[in-house]
Amino acid sequence: MAQDVPPKASFLAVAKAVFWSFFGVRRKADYDRDSASIGPVQVIVAGIIGAVLFILTLLMVVRLVTS
Amino acid sequence: MSAVLDDHGHDHGHDDHHHGYSGIMRWITTTNHKDIGTLYLWFSFTMFMVGGVMALVIRAELFTPGLQIVNPDFFNQMTTMHGLIMVFGAIMPAFVGFANWLIPMQIGAPDMAFARMNNWSFWLLPFAGALLIISFFMPGGAPGVGWTMYAPLTVQMGIGMDFTIFAIHILGMSSIMGSINIVTTVLNMRAPGMTLMKMPLFCWTWLITAYLLIASMPVLAGAVTMTLTDRHFGTSFFNAAGGGDPVLYQHIFWFFGHPEVYIIILPAFGVISQIIPAFSRKPLFGYASMVYATASIAILSFIVWAHHMYTVGMPVTGQLFFMYATTLIAVPTAAKMFNWLATMWRGSLTFETPMLFALGFLFLFAIGGFSGLVLALAAVDIQLQDTYYVVAHFHYVMVAGALFTAFAGIYFWLPKWTGRMYNETLGKVHFWLSMIFFNMIFFVQHFLGLAGMPRRIPDYPLQFETWNKISSIGAFGFGLSQLLFLYIVVKAITSGEKAADKQWEGADSLEWTHLPSPAPYHSFETPPVVK
Ligand code: HEM
Ligand SMILES: [Cu+2]
Repeated sequence: MAQDVPPKASFLAVAKAVFWSFFGVRRKADYDRDSASIGPVQVIVAGIIGAVLFILTLLMVVRLVTS
Repeated sequence: MSAVLDDHGHDHGHDDHHHGYSGIMRWITTTNHKDIGTLYLWFSFTMFMVGGVMALVIRAELFTPGLQIVNPDFFNQMTTMHGLIMVFGAIMPAFVGFANWLIPMQIGAPDMAFARMNNWSFWLLPFAGALLIISFFMPGGAPGVGWTMYAPLTVQMGIGMDFTIFAIHILGMSSIMGSINIVTTVLNMRAPGMTLMKMPLFCWTWLITAYLLIASMPVLAGAVTMTLTDRHFGTSFFNAAGGGDPVLYQHIFWFFGHPEVYIIILPAFGVISQIIPAFSRKPLFGYASMVYATASIAILSFIVWAHHMYTVGMPVTGQLFFMYATTLIAVPTAAKMFNWLATMWRGSLTFETPMLFALGFLFLFAIGGFSGLVLALAAVDIQLQDTYYVVAHFHYVMVAGALFTAFAGIYFWLPKWTGRMYNETLGKVHFWLSMIFFNMIFFVQHFLGLAGMPRRIPDYPLQFETWNKISSIGAFGFGLSQLLFLYIVVKAITSGEKAADKQWEGADSLEWTHLPSPAPYHSFETPPVVK
């Protein structure tokens, strides 16, 4: 994968991209920026963090409605 | 790899010529991705027929109340083997067949990364299939435990159970090797300029599916191995008498099982995402969101498994967690549906057979998705669990979802694979017959389930008779319609009209734009340059 590597995306940018990916939607302009600047490792790490946060949020909601 | 390169280091203009063995040995020793793709597809179709006959035995027995044709034990063997053979023998290999044929051509690679391992992945399958079928002839017959192979029944079955366990091991090995091959091919062998985000969506869905397979097949292997050691080596993982826990089995199985349903449907999403743009003559709407949605469906699929287990007893917090997580999966799935619809919006649509099957998919998969959401609600599921409603749900997603898509894909790529066209009229007849009979079999099963008819029973009370009759008639109609499919494909291969290189006006991936029909035996030995 000999992709050229433009400036690395900030943590916030990656987090945003992953958030939208859980939703399954992404604006074209934003996506073009993401795909130029976000590396695969960043996506995987952010994806796992995102999944853990997702689980924790659900657990909190469950706590809330059952307490 | 070397076998491919050695023979063809130079260009000598008779591409369809095979070196080395001929006859049956060609197929046994082949390392060519197209040959192996063909093998996978024919194997899949054979298993589809075998599993289909079992389904007809089931539906024949259920035609009227009372026991007529088979005894209850054999009935259970039929439901079990029907499920295992259709899932592992028919649907999964069909899409691996598509992957073999298409991924190298679509990314501009000469072959799969590990050509010999590819041969091995395929040739494991007939042996696994044979083990499943031989188990019928063992003392006690095939296991009658259901395709989910729940303990404690599995601990009590005869030797047929061991055959099934080994078959699962072999199938799992085959899937894992196939997945490693796909991941390596997609990540390392793309033509210059073919960035990941330029790949046809089919390659993306398979890349993600391959990771799902690598993550989930070992879990299934673990579950059946624990069953095996419980049976023969004195362990008690699942055997309550020895301090084990049968519910543990269900957790392990469904931790595999729910990702598995996405393993089945994601490649189908990929095929649909190639076909709908082609017949809408528009690029896929929201390509990037499709990739993102596929990835998030894959991740979420690992945290919803206990929606299959609401009735085994779990704390209300657990029920709520799995219920929320499951219903949230519908969000990325809906994003995909939206994108397909938006792709068609204002496109110049035509309705050839592949498109008809793709639309059939959209329509019926939506029904299956909705019934899934109904089942995801714990309070409702406690009523519906283990009824025909569940049977209706998963056949809408697996038959109308995955199988219809496989049909769509075969009609779509047959001209590229064989250089010949199928008969369009007959293709349409096949579609309409399948559509009508499919709904006749399975739509009425929603009613049966809501009225309380349990699944996996050979006999039922009189009040269920009418819908069961309709369902059984539909089943025989559906089965016969598939013989028409076989006829159409064989007729196309032997005497179909010559297909154009770019048979479908709107198709734009490399196999259509850069390769003749039929695609030469070795393609892209010099990679194309993708702009
Ligand atoms: C919107 C997406 C989906 C949701 C919310 C969903 C939900 C569910 C739920 C809650 C059950 C358990 C029902 C019960 O046993 O009482 C179930 C069963 C099942 N689903 Fe889905 N499902 C979805 C999509 C799919 C897809 C795409 C497939 C396969 C291609 C699939 C295949 C199955 C199978 C095979 C079963 C039954 C397993 C068995 O007990 O034998 N589902 N689904
Ligand atoms: Cu599930």
